[in-house]
Amino acid sequence: MDTVTLQIDGHTLTVPAGTTIWDAAASIGITIPALCHDPRMAPVGVCRLCAVDIGARTLVAACVRACEDDMEVHTSTEQVVDDRRTLLELLLADYPEDSRREAATGDDELLALARAHGIEAIPYPDGAIGQPRGEDHSSAVIAVDHQACILCDRCIRGCNALQHNDVLTRTGKGHTTRIAFDLDTPMGESTCVACGECAAVCPTGALTNRALAGLQLMTEEQS
Amino acid sequence: MKQLDAQASDETSRQRVATRAVDTLCPYCGVGCAVTYVADVDHNRIVHAIGRDGAANAGRLCVKGRYGHDYASHPQRLTRPLIRLQNAYPKGQLSPMEQRPGKPGGPVEHDAVLPHFREASWDEALQVVADRLLGIRESHGSDALAGFGSAKGSNEEAYLFQKLVRAVLGTNNVDHCTRLCHASSVAALLESMGSAAVTNVVRDVARADVAILTGCNPTENHPVAATFIKDAAAAGTRLIVINSRRPQIADYAALYLPIRPGTDVALYNAMLHVIIRDDLLDHAFIRERTEGFEAVAEAVREVTPAAAERICGVPAADIEQAARMLGEANAAMFFWGMGISQHTRGTDNARCLISLAMVTGNVGRPGTGLHPLRGQNNVQGASDAGLIPMVYPDYQRVDDPAVQERFERDWGVPLSPRPGLTVTEIISAARDGDVRGMYILGENPFISDPDVNKVREGLANLDFLVVQDIFLTETAEFADVILPASSFMEKAGSYTNTDRRVQLGAPVLQPPGEARQDWELICEIAQRMGYPMAYDSVADVFDEFAACTESYASLSHAALGLRGRWYPCSNPETSDGEPIVFGDAFPRGPAMLVATRFTPADEQPDGDFPLVLSTGRVLEHWHTGTMTRRSAALDTLAPDASVELNPTDARKLGISDGQQVRVTSRRGTITLMAELSEAVLPGTVFIPMHFREACANLLTNPAVDPWGKIPGFKFCAVRVEAAREAA
Ligand code: SF4
Ligand code: SF4
Ligand code: FES
Repeated sequence: MDTVTLQIDGHTLTVPAGTTIWDAAASIGITIPALCHDPRMAPVGVCRLCAVDIGARTLVAACVRACEDDMEVHTSTEQVVDDRRTLLELLLADYPEDSRREAATGDDELLALARAHGIEAIPYPDGAIGQPRGEDHSSAVIAVDHQACILCDRCIRGCNALQHNDVLTRTGKGHTTRIAFDLDTPMGESTCVACGECAAVCPTGALTNRALAGLQLMTEEQS
Repeated sequence: MKQLDAQASDETSRQRVATRAVDTLCPYCGVGCAVTYVADVDHNRIVHAIGRDGAANAGRLCVKGRYGHDYASHPQRLTRPLIRLQNAYPKGQLSPMEQRPGKPGGPVEHDAVLPHFREASWDEALQVVADRLLGIRESHGSDALAGFGSAKGSNEEAYLFQKLVRAVLGTNNVDHCTRLCHASSVAALLESMGSAAVTNVVRDVARADVAILTGCNPTENHPVAATFIKDAAAAGTRLIVINSRRPQIADYAALYLPIRPGTDVALYNAMLHVIIRDDLLDHAFIRERTEGFEAVAEAVREVTPAAAERICGVPAADIEQAARMLGEANAAMFFWGMGISQHTRGTDNARCLISLAMVTGNVGRPGTGLHPLRGQNNVQGASDAGLIPMVYPDYQRVDDPAVQERFERDWGVPLSPRPGLTVTEIISAARDGDVRGMYILGENPFISDPDVNKVREGLANLDFLVVQDIFLTETAEFADVILPASSFMEKAGSYTNTDRRVQLGAPVLQPPGEARQDWELICEIAQRMGYPMAYDSVADVFDEFAACTESYASLSHAALGLRGRWYPCSNPETSDGEPIVFGDAFPRGPAMLVATRFTPADEQPDGDFPLVLSTGRVLEHWHTGTMTRRSAALDTLAPDASVELNPTDARKLGISDGQQVRVTSRRGTITLMAELSEAVLPGTVFIPMHFREACANLLTNPAVDPWGKIPGFKFCAVRVEAAREAA
């Protein structure tokens, strides 16, 4: 098997050719932040949260970039962290006031990363005014809040690549780009089979379990 | 400025819920998905489901596992033992069968049935059960008693239940719903290989060049398994889908063969004909691993694709192509479901598939194998544990004196050498007065068995019926005593999925009220009947069960851990178990190939009953609906029964989509909504089995397959006509 040898944050390691920087880092216990990437799915490299420094002209997305021989990867230089913080602020710019995921299960990945990067408040609070992308409550089991969607594509891959239900897609342009069911029908009227994969993989408050509306789940220790 | 700590800001409007997360399994189908259920501790209910990285699901779930868990905390759960009131005799059904106008359909009318029973103490109820069963044993002999266990129970419950029936009631009259689902597949596989377990796991389809999916609808009935089959198709595995009702997975198929119902043998024999004619055989495999090939070759000599086309309606050219795809494949895998097994010739159907696999050498290697998709979460395990009238645990025959002696020694009582009656035979015997007392644990034959009117007569005729269940089922309406049991969500135990993966379920909730653990109830009834049966834990029951088998011998609850193991498993410390079996030899020695000849189904359509009815399931519901129709999400998604009708037939009958129609067979009539669909062939209709108010099994034919004793649910003659508007 072809292998490549590289350095990540000063550690030297050898991995099979074709391994992504993200996977290589994970294999030695370095977690590179990610929003659009999920190890169960083929990476698409759209959120850029995983950007790392390989000494090139620009930062590269670790989730899609393959390791190369003699690469020197730095996953948390000041520049890398600054870059992430800016990206997070931009993603949060039109994020709704209440993330349904954060409120119910406390695991909104965007908010968790924001907090980890010292962002304490939504930076441009007017961004979500009017919530132009809207909500969809037609499904019996899943609440859709388009305003909380960061277009990471995880739900689309969950629906099409993991479950092969081929319901989810994207529609719209520019600021009104959003996910869509079939040819943009309400979720409850679409060919959705309610497997819930999209809500399970969504990192934000965009797709959530309707049954949790009004509840805030705490572990027994927390409560 | 909006702070990020949403939990803090939102606190006032949200109800804080203390939760506990428990790693367990989905309670529904044979795929056996691993799941973490998050329970609201103070309200004893499940609020959320998270897919776990199980061997069968890799984190994926379907709608039932993800949203169908709330049945366990439904207010209609039984919480105290119940005894039938004097004025509720003579016995009969207590709530109306048909949907009343203005009354939404649903399962049994709890409020109408409950007043016919009074609450009793556990001591009283269990003593009545023990006394009445003993009384019947004394006055009419052991064979006047029978038990139905359930493929929804754990291995431990199945083991204890068959032990109780055999060692305490003294009869082999013990069976369960496998009789209604794969009994014919099991008969054919045992006959051929000496084992009825799948030879390879679902996810091995990734390594198959060709996969045949026949008589199954995995996207609805094994949804997570279907996702892996679709993965394989996307990566190049060519699917050959065969069905008389087009399943959605046909969208991913290289070839779809729409076959007339009940004509499978003709199609497969024609495929065998082509494979033999064009010498696409694996000669070495046939020579070294099989016997009986000549008889099969002889039987298919005349069955040309053209001859088969006239019977099964599949174009000869497509039969040729399917045969060539199979014959030329390096590795081919066979999946099948109830469309194969639930026929009065179901065993012949399965024999044909076995022959196709064997003559092409497609068993025992990666990407090859025979995989009858098991329906219930524990149908494999319940069968392994001996909930079958002819065999003890691990398929050891009750009429083998050496086996009998061994179990007599282990269990310390004389045992009956007579194979017992099967599900449908027990119901007939009850009707005839030969079986007088029954213990039914977790089954609902009043909805699930063919020809419900006959079932009703059988159940009503029993001198004594004890039903142990979590709800007042349709069957419980006929009970003398009802014992409130624990749901899947409230108990520990092991379950064996369609892949032979033995996995542990764990309690997520507390049983409601005074409801008790099923295994303890079985033990207590045995004790009160004078047979010592006591265990410290479910794990101990597993150990006793495992010790009388070869397949489970190396396993224990501790060894199964959070991920389970496939059996056989040489050493659970070091091995995950065997995903593929019979690489070198079959338990029987050489596999026996059995020649088959096309035989028409038992009941043919005629002028009065011109259409063929097939029954089955829908994605959102489970069997008799006891659980899923009490799940808010699932019931919302699929509230009503409907009959699928081809638009061509509908036009002739003057029926439009959504109209109420009456469907009548020689045994009964039901009224439900028509749904026009191109999926069903002209001349055929489909009705899901879950809905009491439109009970498909009022119509079905109780005739059974001669070997598997399975009823032909997939074939009976009906007529469809517009219903008069309801008043
Ligand atoms: S709905 Fe969720 S998973 Fe889908 S694209 Fe938006 S943020 Fe990603
Ligand atoms: S596929 Fe079967 S086991 Fe898996 S979640 Fe669905 S019903 Fe449950
Ligand atoms: S995680 Fe790599 S681009 Fe989103």
